[in-house]
Amino acid sequence: MNNILTAANLSKSFKALQVVKDVSLTIQNGEFACLVGKSGSGKTTLLSILSGLEKPTKGRVSINSTSITDSSENELALFRREKVGFVFQSFHLIPTLCAWENVALPLFPVKMDKEIRKKRAIELLNQMEIGHRAEHRPSSLSGGEKQRVAIARALVNRPEIIFADEPTGNLDSETSGAIMDILKHLNKKNGMSILMVTHDQDLAASTDRIIHMKDGKVVS
Amino acid sequence: MNLIYMGKELYHRKRRTLTAVFSLALGITILITINALSKAYSEAARMPLKEIESDIIVQRAGNVPENLDGAVFACSAVTIRKDEVNQIRQLQGIQGFVQALLLWVFDADRFTIVLGFDPKNPVGPGALRTQVTQGKFFEKGKNQALAESSYAETYDIKPGDTVTVGGQDFQISGIVDASRATKIAVANIYLDMEDAQRMAKESKQVQNVSPFESNDANILFIKANPEQIDSLARSIKKIIGEKASISTPASFLKHLGSLFSLSDKFSLATSLIALVITILIVLKTMAGNLAERANEIGVLKAVGWSNKDVVGQVIGESIIQCLAGGILGLIFSLIAASMLGLIQVSIPIPWEMSPTPHFLPGGGDPVFKTLQLPVSISWRLAVFSIILSTTIGAVTGGLLSRRISRIKPSEVLKNE
Repeated sequence: MNNILTAANLSKSFKALQVVKDVSLTIQNGEFACLVGKSGSGKTTLLSILSGLEKPTKGRVSINSTSITDSSENELALFRREKVGFVFQSFHLIPTLCAWENVALPLFPVKMDKEIRKKRAIELLNQMEIGHRAEHRPSSLSGGEKQRVAIARALVNRPEIIFADEPTGNLDSETSGAIMDILKHLNKKNGMSILMVTHDQDLAASTDRIIHMKDGKVVS
Repeated sequence: MNLIYMGKELYHRKRRTLTAVFSLALGITILITINALSKAYSEAARMPLKEIESDIIVQRAGNVPENLDGAVFACSAVTIRKDEVNQIRQLQGIQGFVQALLLWVFDADRFTIVLGFDPKNPVGPGALRTQVTQGKFFEKGKNQALAESSYAETYDIKPGDTVTVGGQDFQISGIVDASRATKIAVANIYLDMEDAQRMAKESKQVQNVSPFESNDANILFIKANPEQIDSLARSIKKIIGEKASISTPASFLKHLGSLFSLSDKFSLATSLIALVITILIVLKTMAGNLAERANEIGVLKAVGWSNKDVVGQVIGESIIQCLAGGILGLIFSLIAASMLGLIQVSIPIPWEMSPTPHFLPGGGDPVFKTLQLPVSISWRLAVFSIILSTTIGAVTGGLLSRRISRIKPSEVLKNE
């Protein structure tokens, strides 16, 4: 199977503090991998580097053989818009927009028909089984519904890989299970590659591969 | 730039949006109203002169005649010589010109204020042609005169009657309601200039005070290019000398004594201060709004918005708010202008502009021209204020968005 993501010798320092230390890893096409580690182990920083949100101090990252390490800020923005989807622990929905508009947010800078944009967002909300909440603003949605909207937003640009940072961290166990089911479904049925950060060992156990981090290094 | 997103951001963040919109509206209202008010006072100050189709009135102050007998100079208006008149006539910027002669005539049975001028010239008292209530305007070379209505009523004068003034007989061609039309150079009898000049030349009292030749005058009415009125007034003062009494819209503005009429600099300074304070409030409000939205901007960048997309969005929101503020400010200004237009102003007319001997009833009373303040907002000022509002929006949006667009999404989206 081809690697969708390849990282080689990644390091990241913030002033004197080295947060990620010489990390090399690969994610295969269609793989659901999980980064686990204690707080401060550097897993979120590594996820930011792998997804193009942050530049490494040293090392290289390529997604589908395209290096993103030397890309300009604008090229990175375009890369994130076209190639990756994000799911955050705190959902990070725009409070003034309704559910379908939040889903369509990555498409706003793209020149496309408004109706097509809306149709695609509503379809995704229907897939997430919250189509009936399309016109509701985040303040009137439950935690689980918000995360479903966030997942729909991550999928709207038909990405090659999804980066999920503690996607169930703010949810109760029942809702967490439902969200994990959605991610697993996307992985198994749609072949979507997913790299998830979590500190929940049970959730991690249900993914294809667990990558352990400790003190900025991948330990297993 | 996404209009739906823009509209929703502004709608759902009502407090900040309204603060920015109303702050700018207030600033624009102050800017427009002060300028309109300043212009209205300037316009009001022009009215007394405008009524007699003049921009500048020139006189030369003189001495009081020894005896009040026959034709005498009103002490505020002695001879302006022919050569001086010709020099003034040559000055650049003059669009219309008429020389006149103002005399007090003490006859045995009555006192008469006489004003002589060329009846064919529309400048100055020639404007009275439209105020004739009975008969017709007098004609040149026909020994005719025009009687002012209150004078005619006092002495029971009608068109066709003959009146004797300074020992000369004149046929009354018509009655004119001059005092209602104008407060400047109001006379009892209006004559052809040549008749008045003859009367002055033959008068011993006139010659004793100030030698007078048959082509001289003692009052000049000038219509001038509005841009050149002040420079013309200075040039005329040089020709006439220290005793020149020159009335212009600016001199009437000084008599008005309003803060707004004192100087354009005051209006400009007040407008600028209002505008700077407004811009600072708008800037602070929008900066606060963007600081609250740092996470949101981080999300936009994380999902693929470029710096340019973020800048466009912020500038767009800023322009919409400022444009709304500008339009609202314009509406407030129109309301303010219509209310200020109800104010009545009384413009004091200097005694020498319409001299009446103090010993006559009402002779020393101050004369005022009362009118409603002509406040109006020109379309140029309206367009300027809208362009200014939009520019403020673009500049403040541009300043703020440049910094916020450089936010690193990873910094603001780290898990709480």
